Amino acid sequence: MDQSLHKNINKKQTEQTITSAIGGGIIIALILLITTVWVSNSARTSTSMAVNRVSEFYLEELAGRRAQVVTEELKNNIAYMENALKVMEDSDLESQDTLRKFLGKAKKLYGVEKFALVDENGIVFTEHSTVSGLSRYGFLAEELKEPVIHTLNLYGAKKQVIIAVPVEGIMFQGSQIKVCFIQMNINEMLSSLTLQTNNNETYCNLYYRNGESLTNNAFGYLSEGSNVFSALADADIDKGFSVEQMKNDFTNGIQGQISFNYLGYQEELCYIPVEGTNWILTILVRDNVISQQISSVSLRMINRSRIQIIIMIFVMLMVFFVLINQSRKNAKILLEQEKADGDRIRTAFLQIEREQTAMENIHTAMGSGRWSMEFNKHGEMISCNWSEAFRKMVGYEKEEDFPNKLESWSSLLHEEDKERVMQEYWNTINDYTGGKTYDVEYRLFTKHLGWRWFHAAGRLSRRSDGSPITFVGLFIDIDDEKKLEALLEKQKADLQDALAAAQHANRAKTTFLNNMSHDIRTPMNAIIGFTSLAAAHIENTEQVQDYLAKITTSSNHLLSLINDVLDMSRIESGKVKIEEKETSLPEIMHDLKTIVQADIASKQLDFYIDTDDVVNEHVFCDKLRLNQVLLNLLSNAMKFTAPGGMVSVRVLQKGIAQEGCASYEFQIKDTGIGMSQDFIDHVFEPFEREQTSTVSGIQGTGLGMAITKNIVDMMGGKITVASKEGKGTTFTVALQFRICYGAVRQEIIPELSGLRALVADDDFNTCSSVTKMLATIGLRPDWTTSGKEAVLRAKLAGEQNDEYAVYIIDWLMPDMNGIEVVRRIRGIIGEEKPIIILTAYDWSDIEDEARKAGVTAFCSKPIFLSELREILESPFTIQNVDNDQMTEEPSFADKKIFLVEDNELNQEIAIEILQEAGFIVDVADDGAVAVEKLKTAKPGQYDLILMDIQMPIMDGYEATRQIRALGQPGLADIPIIAMTANAFDEDKKAAFDAGMNGHISKPIDIPKLLALLRDILY
Amino acid sequence: MLKKKLEGKMSQKKQRGRIRIVIVMAVCGLLVGLAGCRQKREEEEPAVSDQEAMLKEQEDILREETTKAVNFERKLDEYQPLKTEYNFYFTYKTVHPWWDAVALGIEDAAKQYEEMGVMINYEYLAPNYVSAQDQIQRLSEASLRNFDVLGVDVADVELVTPVINRLVENGEKVMTFSSSDASKEEGCNRIAYVGNTHNYEDGAALTETICEKLGYQGKIAVLVGTRGAPCHEDRALGVQDVIAKYPDMEIVEIAYDEDSVDKAYDFTRSFLARHSDLSGIVCCNMSNPVGAARAVVEAGRKGEIVIVGMDHDQEALQYLKDGVIYALGVQDCYSIGFDTLQVAVKIADGHLPGEAYPEKTEEITTIILQEEASTMLRLLYGEYD
Repeated sequence: MDQSLHKNINKKQTEQTITSAIGGGIIIALILLITTVWVSNSARTSTSMAVNRVSEFYLEELAGRRAQVVTEELKNNIAYMENALKVMEDSDLESQDTLRKFLGKAKKLYGVEKFALVDENGIVFTEHSTVSGLSRYGFLAEELKEPVIHTLNLYGAKKQVIIAVPVEGIMFQGSQIKVCFIQMNINEMLSSLTLQTNNNETYCNLYYRNGESLTNNAFGYLSEGSNVFSALADADIDKGFSVEQMKNDFTNGIQGQISFNYLGYQEELCYIPVEGTNWILTILVRDNVISQQISSVSLRMINRSRIQIIIMIFVMLMVFFVLINQSRKNAKILLEQEKADGDRIRTAFLQIEREQTAMENIHTAMGSGRWSMEFNKHGEMISCNWSEAFRKMVGYEKEEDFPNKLESWSSLLHEEDKERVMQEYWNTINDYTGGKTYDVEYRLFTKHLGWRWFHAAGRLSRRSDGSPITFVGLFIDIDDEKKLEALLEKQKADLQDALAAAQHANRAKTTFLNNMSHDIRTPMNAIIGFTSLAAAHIENTEQVQDYLAKITTSSNHLLSLINDVLDMSRIESGKVKIEEKETSLPEIMHDLKTIVQADIASKQLDFYIDTDDVVNEHVFCDKLRLNQVLLNLLSNAMKFTAPGGMVSVRVLQKGIAQEGCASYEFQIKDTGIGMSQDFIDHVFEPFEREQTSTVSGIQGTGLGMAITKNIVDMMGGKITVASKEGKGTTFTVALQFRICYGAVRQEIIPELSGLRALVADDDFNTCSSVTKMLATIGLRPDWTTSGKEAVLRAKLAGEQNDEYAVYIIDWLMPDMNGIEVVRRIRGIIGEEKPIIILTAYDWSDIEDEARKAGVTAFCSKPIFLSELREILESPFTIQNVDNDQMTEEPSFADKKIFLVEDNELNQEIAIEILQEAGFIVDVADDGAVAVEKLKTAKPGQYDLILMDIQMPIMDGYEATRQIRALGQPGLADIPIIAMTANAFDEDKKAAFDAGMNGHISKPIDIPKLLALLRDILY
Repeated sequence: MLKKKLEGKMSQKKQRGRIRIVIVMAVCGLLVGLAGCRQKREEEEPAVSDQEAMLKEQEDILREETTKAVNFERKLDEYQPLKTEYNFYFTYKTVHPWWDAVALGIEDAAKQYEEMGVMINYEYLAPNYVSAQDQIQRLSEASLRNFDVLGVDVADVELVTPVINRLVENGEKVMTFSSSDASKEEGCNRIAYVGNTHNYEDGAALTETICEKLGYQGKIAVLVGTRGAPCHEDRALGVQDVIAKYPDMEIVEIAYDEDSVDKAYDFTRSFLARHSDLSGIVCCNMSNPVGAARAVVEAGRKGEIVIVGMDHDQEALQYLKDGVIYALGVQDCYSIGFDTLQVAVKIADGHLPGEAYPEKTEEITTIILQEEASTMLRLLYGEYD
């Protein structure tokens, strides 16, 4: 019963609720409907009134803006023309074609119908035409003083605007250009100003002050192109406006407005003068168009609102009932579901907890740290969680020390890894496709172990739109693996280097063997070949001599090859030592010149050798090695320079040097074949030869430059090269030597102080250096590179009563040789003043002729200050500096020589050479034999012993020691010269240590041998 | 129990049905109410008035008729030029608006060629005063400048023809155009002519018009342009032949104004002074009617002296509109220029008269009276009342 009553009560309550809801809904709907209708009607009325008021202001504003646009357009066009004229160049006026191109460009640039120039005859030039324009363009009738704007009513009713500017200073084909103008279609110009739609709401037009239309545009309901005043004569003008007022405004250029009814249509017309013209711009709007538009819009708005409300109410009620029914049905189901879901969630949470615990255990066991991050739907991180294992791995125990934020980790990243790792991190997060896995290796600064390598990897779970939810990852310490990896990499690299070095060495060896094979076989082939030929033609003396000369050349080359190879080998093995001794640079330079003189002459090269600023002429250096360096470079220069070319040597003393030292620069320059840049990079490497060397037939071991470089390095110097193919090469050797004793005397020679001196040399460098030296001594030097000019100067000096006290003349000058110059100068100055010939060549052949011509003395290049000083201090007797060729060679006739040599062939050669020189020769084939023979010999029986070193029973050293130990004067102190194939410095030293007096290496260089014998015997 | 349950269910269904009916009725009521609230639409836009429609129709008719006189809607024919660039030289009698109208036709044709990728460069030059010697000099100089075609509006047939023939012998392509030809029949070897081929007929037609107006009786004076200019001479000949047909008509004087309005004015003044019984003036060129009308108006004899003349000078059209001039023969100068360029291109491409173009391209002349003056002014010069 109670249950039934309860049901009835519920039922009634439900019915009441529903009835109330329906009633309430209907009342709300009616209120909405009524208020909407009321509001929209009021809005429509108010809007209509407001629009009418505003439209008047709007029209004025609109007209003003349009007029401004027209004015700006006109002004811009004037500016365009002026700009175009400014950029016009003479080349544009060269011909009709160039002018047309210019005008075409200007036309396209400014987008006008015509861009034209007009000359003084009224000829109009445009992009494609040249026409007589006086009748067509009325404004050309008068001279233009300032920019003008015209309208042109062309045949065909083409109304055009012409904007013209006067032009000055431009001539074309003999006529002066007077005007530049552009032509634009006026309708096109105005098209952008008119706001027209299907209903033609607004119209824009231009009129002259007399009401005549400039355009043929449609203009509201007024006839196209009509005079506006004529048109308005048929209109009903609204109260407060008049056509007369409008005419006055037009005439006086005053802005105004008129409202009228034309053909039954209410229209508003606003007019405004256009600045800079006599035009009036008009804007016309139809009132009914505005009101219709407003009414139409309002009505549409109201109707839409009504329909919207009905639909809204209907939908609202439907939704309301559906929701009530559905909510009842769902309530029970939801309750049961909630219970079941609660159970499932609890079970799931338990499962997750268990799994998380298990995962933590696994991470701990694997030495990996887990981390996770949560993101909101905007992709912003909302939490970051570093696991305990993670923290411990980077050396932190507590969360306070390593807080749960990204910076805790990122601040520990190594600088080199940071950018890469962070980029990978953000790329992974921002990859909304979800395909990317975060996987990086990086260094992290751990609290206790410093920098360590770690590997981190992670993945993101994402929302349906791809935005990140959770970023979970692992972090593993891979430092040990990384170190092992690095070690392996290093070992691998070392092995690769070693392999490369071995391969390089192998290649070098192969190259060396190939080169040697080639270089040895080449002269050997010549030697064997010509020997065979000599044997075959033994009866033909002349032919045999030729063969023998060739054999000698090849032999010498072979010898130099062997010397170079051995030198290089010794340098590389560190056996070569630099032995500094007191050395005279002038001596080195003169020796150098003497050595190369013959080759210079035979190769017909121009040779220059000079000095500059050398004030320390005596230094401590290894003369032998310095000579070797300079000779190597000079030989190369000669070798690679064709006949007629130039080779020069120049020694300069540089200002900057350590205390007690002097810096020098030796420049060896040639005008030879030069080197490619590729070869320059390797020129100092062993066995490097320019490809062209073999092509040009120039032989070389490819070791000379390497030896030179090594020697220079050992001397603490530096060698550089500058070269250009086909132009020549300059080697510069910079060396620093200790100074022996003070600088050359630089004081003035009192007798010469203030006197004039003339230097004539075609080499500017020589002129410069000699001039400086002369100035140092106290003379007033002049210089010239021309022989003829030297003669003229001598003459001029006489005329000026300021004669030269001394003349220093180069022997070979291009325009006049030195002898001739001397002869002519002598003709001018007489015999008194000294004239010194300065030459880099052997002057013995021309000495007689030169002295007859009036030469006082000869001086050999390069001339040093001490030498110049010496020659100028001397009384200019007939003498020569550096004339070392006058001494008479002593004879070896009847001199007795004891040859100790085990090799029969060498014995034979030596005997031949010595007997040829006049010696009486006795022979022993071993050291022991020699010692025994000498023990029985009488003092004076032998003048000298030539001792081989390597012999079967007793070597040369031992034999010498035993001879020196004989104790018998005249025998024990007999001069002994080592004659051996052991040609190295240590061999020489060993020879001297053993008590020998000299050393000559095999193969025997006959002049050297004889010179040594001469030195020792005399 | 079961019955009660069924009854209960039935009553629930009825209750729901009632509620649905109430809702449907309420919605319908609302819709009806809303429909009643709908306001009457604003008035429909007024229909185009009859007056306007009539005006428009008249304008259309006039435009159509006058369009026939001067055709500004010309399009190039289908001929495809063989080259992409041409250079032409045109010289005409004197600097004058009539030739400016021809120039516009040339200019528009050149633009249309440019749109199809063919560049036309041209010179269109004339002396300030008619001079056959000047024309000869211009042609001679132009022949040295490698133009594709030389075009000439012959100033004097006798003097210019030998020069044209010499140029043709030298391989130059020469055509005549606009107002005056030197024809094959006259021994000229020019290739083609584009322009008025009926000057005699034009002179005759104008004279017929004035004769009709004068009732075929009275004295008239004749103004001609340049002596020796074929077009002017032909028209003058036409005038004389027509007058000779009517025994009551007489030509009292013929004067050449050398295409000068001022001279035409002076001559008219002297006609009026010397011939007080003068009834009309026939004008054979463009400057004639302007000078004549000025003098007649100045003499206060508008309406007494009937003037007929040639061409479309704006001032002359204005005199026509005002009734000072009775009739004007308007030539289609635009088409003359347009066709001149088309023919020049074909000549330059080596075509001889035949299928590509005729030896003489004829352009029309239309005689208009006062009622057509406004339309013509509007058509040619955009001039509105």
